[in-house]
Amino acid sequence: MNENNSFRISEEKRRVLLIEDDIICQEMMKASIGDTYDVIVATSGEEATGIIRAQHDTLSMILLDLNLPGIKGIDVLKSIKSDPEFSHLPVIVMTSDNEAEVECLTLGAIDFIPKPYPASKVILARILRTVELSEDRETLRLTERDQLTGLYNKDFFFRYAAQLDLYHKDAPTDAIVFDVNHFHTINDRYGKAAGNEILKRIADNAIAYVSEAGGIVCRSGADTFMLYCRHIDDYEALLARLSANLDVEGSGENHVRLRMGVYLDADKSIDIERRFDRAKMAADTARDHLTAPVGFFDHSMREAEILEEQLIDDFSTAIREKQFVIYYQPKFNVKNDKPYLTSAEALVRWKHPKLGMVSPGTFIPLFEKNGLIQKLDYYVWSETACHIKDWKERLGVSLPVSVNVSRIDLYDPDLTEKFLQIAKTGGLDPQDLLLEITESAYTEKTDQIITTVKNLRDLGFRIEMDDFGSGYSSLSMLSTMPIDALKLDIQFIRSAFKGQKDTRLLEAMIGLAKSFEVPTIAEGVETDEQYSYLKAMGCDIIQGYYFSRPLPVDEFEKYIVLKLKSEDDLCLPLKN
Amino acid sequence: MLTIEKLKVYGADTAKGLSRCANNEALYLRLVDITVRELSSGSLGEALASGDPERAFEAAHKLKGSVSNLALTPIEIPLSELTELLRSRTPGDHTALYDEIVRKTNELASL
Repeated sequence: MNENNSFRISEEKRRVLLIEDDIICQEMMKASIGDTYDVIVATSGEEATGIIRAQHDTLSMILLDLNLPGIKGIDVLKSIKSDPEFSHLPVIVMTSDNEAEVECLTLGAIDFIPKPYPASKVILARILRTVELSEDRETLRLTERDQLTGLYNKDFFFRYAAQLDLYHKDAPTDAIVFDVNHFHTINDRYGKAAGNEILKRIADNAIAYVSEAGGIVCRSGADTFMLYCRHIDDYEALLARLSANLDVEGSGENHVRLRMGVYLDADKSIDIERRFDRAKMAADTARDHLTAPVGFFDHSMREAEILEEQLIDDFSTAIREKQFVIYYQPKFNVKNDKPYLTSAEALVRWKHPKLGMVSPGTFIPLFEKNGLIQKLDYYVWSETACHIKDWKERLGVSLPVSVNVSRIDLYDPDLTEKFLQIAKTGGLDPQDLLLEITESAYTEKTDQIITTVKNLRDLGFRIEMDDFGSGYSSLSMLSTMPIDALKLDIQFIRSAFKGQKDTRLLEAMIGLAKSFEVPTIAEGVETDEQYSYLKAMGCDIIQGYYFSRPLPVDEFEKYIVLKLKSEDDLCLPLKN
Repeated sequence: MLTIEKLKVYGADTAKGLSRCANNEALYLRLVDITVRELSSGSLGEALASGDPERAFEAAHKLKGSVSNLALTPIEIPLSELTELLRSRTPGDHTALYDEIVRKTNELASL
């Protein structure tokens, strides 16, 4: 056998500690098991305690004679079983006193070998079996429990929860998920050890609760816990109990807040994991709600979930069958007395064969979450390029159109190549495509994103920063950012003209853009008043129902033609 | 020289004793030899003479363990009886039992 082959757990002799002062018994035991096990002998309780303390990691079993000089065997057993570090070690007690058997088993001995001994082969078989069972038990102990908190892990939790269902079929039961608000910031601020300490305290609080009220609990993820318990009414009280004593020591602050999702009186006819999915969904509704940290699952969530599943399932077919249709909303340059059509924004709608028109507010956040947005964006860019090409060829109009570029697209190393290919296929000039990139995208991995955006701009694509002012970018970034226009966040316009009109912030934003010599675009403009104010404040381009709602491509074509007829309204390079 | 055959004739249940030594005859004979020396050392007699019932019981119990494991039946019988009497602190003169143990030990030692 070469050295590598021998480096196997199965080839190693397990070590057995024999605590026995009688030489005859020692020799007989060594003769019985010495070929299979590495037998270490201690002749007193004191010696044994020292060996256990120093070598417990490598011991597979302890054989303990009860009749020892000095510390008695029964006290050695008590001391082993009361120390959490060693208590997992299996102990077989050896004695001629049959009456001691029950006491030893009660104290945690795993088996009993009588004296005089049985035949060697009987002893060996018994010890082999005991070691095997103990190792299985230890493996189970290590795998079913989370090492940090001692709680069950998720897989075993689900298994035991299902067992609870079997025994308590008719008991109303709640599936509860709870986690720590912004746990990563606690780790960042106070260190991982402090974070771990908080998780352990939460686990202790949860264990104390289930040991009183029943139920089981697990740590299902980094800072996420699951609790399966009898239905209760006061979840605020439960949350308070789970949140007790979580302050980070020495910080003098209490930033540790839990949030909780409850699927109350959970339907036992559905799979246990699905029940906790629902509790998680409910927990997500409570995110950042300091005043309402408990969310409850209701059937509107279930319906939303079913709809989301259907939309995801139908996505590929929708792309293939071109169920996604592009609408265009015109943008007008308002710098001169008379506004003129300068570009449009491509907006996607889903003409679903069964659900009818699906709002982008429903499917875009969903696809952003699961990454399908990349495919959808590419589809929209390609379709838009086809339309621009078509207008050029049939109408003789060259109208730039802005398309949305999602955050995830900016991480695509092939992004610039994709845009070049789209432009090339459509015979377009890069300037025909305006790329709208949301402001918040610039705050992540800024350098990489700025490089990507710079590359696109160098190739001739124009960049519009979307949702500007929604609160993420640092103003200093404006001076380094490669952008061609700032598109004000629609919420700014809505709130400026709502109730007590206050346009000061809007004016400041437009002023800021002007100082960086970047044109501003306002979207969502609906009224004469909004239009007049924005124009007076120096806004350059306006988009919104004031001019036109988003139009399907055939209607938008008619719109362009109409504008073509009143030449004054259209200051575009109309003819190639 | 001590042999398995001689032990059988003496009355030991050698099959049982050997079964506890993984049928290793040399080991069994060596352990019998050790036990005979211990029995012959006079330790049990001293303990009985000391008047300390706990010490007497411990000495008898320890020897009984070895003798029983080796299945040295002729000694095991009186030694077990003596051990139980000492365990229960039964008053009385145990000399007859002790003499029997000594006799059987001497017999074994002379094999």
